[in-house]
Amino acid sequence: MKTRVLGFAGLAAVTAAAIYGLFVVPADLNQGDAQRIMYVHVASAWLAYASFGVTALAGIGYLWKRDLRFDAVALAGAEVGVMFTAFAIWGGMMWGRPVWGVYWQWEDPRLTTTALLLALYVGYLLLRRLTDDPARRASRAAVVGLIAAVDIPIVHFSVIWWRGLHQGPTIGDPGKILNPSAPLLFVAALMAMVAAFTLVWVYLMIRRYQLARVDWQIEEHGRLGRITAARRAGMAPAATTAGNEEPAS
Amino acid sequence: MTDVGFVVAAYTVILGGIGLYAARLVRRLRTARQASLQIRRAADAALSAPDERR
Repeated sequence: MKTRVLGFAGLAAVTAAAIYGLFVVPADLNQGDAQRIMYVHVASAWLAYASFGVTALAGIGYLWKRDLRFDAVALAGAEVGVMFTAFAIWGGMMWGRPVWGVYWQWEDPRLTTTALLLALYVGYLLLRRLTDDPARRASRAAVVGLIAAVDIPIVHFSVIWWRGLHQGPTIGDPGKILNPSAPLLFVAALMAMVAAFTLVWVYLMIRRYQLARVDWQIEEHGRLGRITAARRAGMAPAATTAGNEEPAS
Repeated sequence: MTDVGFVVAAYTVILGGIGLYAARLVRRLRTARQASLQIRRAADAALSAPDERR
């Protein structure tokens, strides 16, 4: 019930933030209306980082405690993170075409490392399908999730470390936190969208975690059913043989 | 395509995609919960029923 309320709150918040970003905030002087894409693009990118960070932390939790609930959290983070990464890339492409003149440029470190991030976590999700053993699957996924997480800071700092098409941080730069280079009206629209997306993100994470837990229970029932059936199949001939045995003379 | 076209394309795909994913997730969860309940009921029925082979 509480999760459902959270879902409706997220929906209302995203609607309000979208209306504010699309119709209330004026168009940027240089970028025009295309600048409005930044609100959903940046929010998607930040939540992709958060999702994969959760996957990495949950992986550490699993390797430490061997509790499958951590694995369910890690799976939720990876799947939701893949979705937000794909949307961040899509938003970036839709913004890049009118502002940069190109949808994509492989030479740009931010774009390339983000594409790599997406590929890594799609691989993570595919890896999970390779085995039915929950413990083995969780261990492998935890290790891969930790290795893939190395790319998160590389993506974030790529605009500082290397020169490319992508501009440097507008909000995240420590020197600009109290005095951002973007007008406050734009920053408010961005923060509103980030807050709204965060509500939706929490809702999706909870639902995906719940689904992972129920799926695991179904798997467990299936496994127990197969073991019981195998035992019965093994016991039945033995019982028959035992019943027909001649008494030892 | 105009700037507004790109804005519409970005918002439609991102917000629509999140909405579709959320709806699909809720449907998957509902189906999985029903399946889990049916399996549990079948298991309970199997446990409570007398073994026919005996």
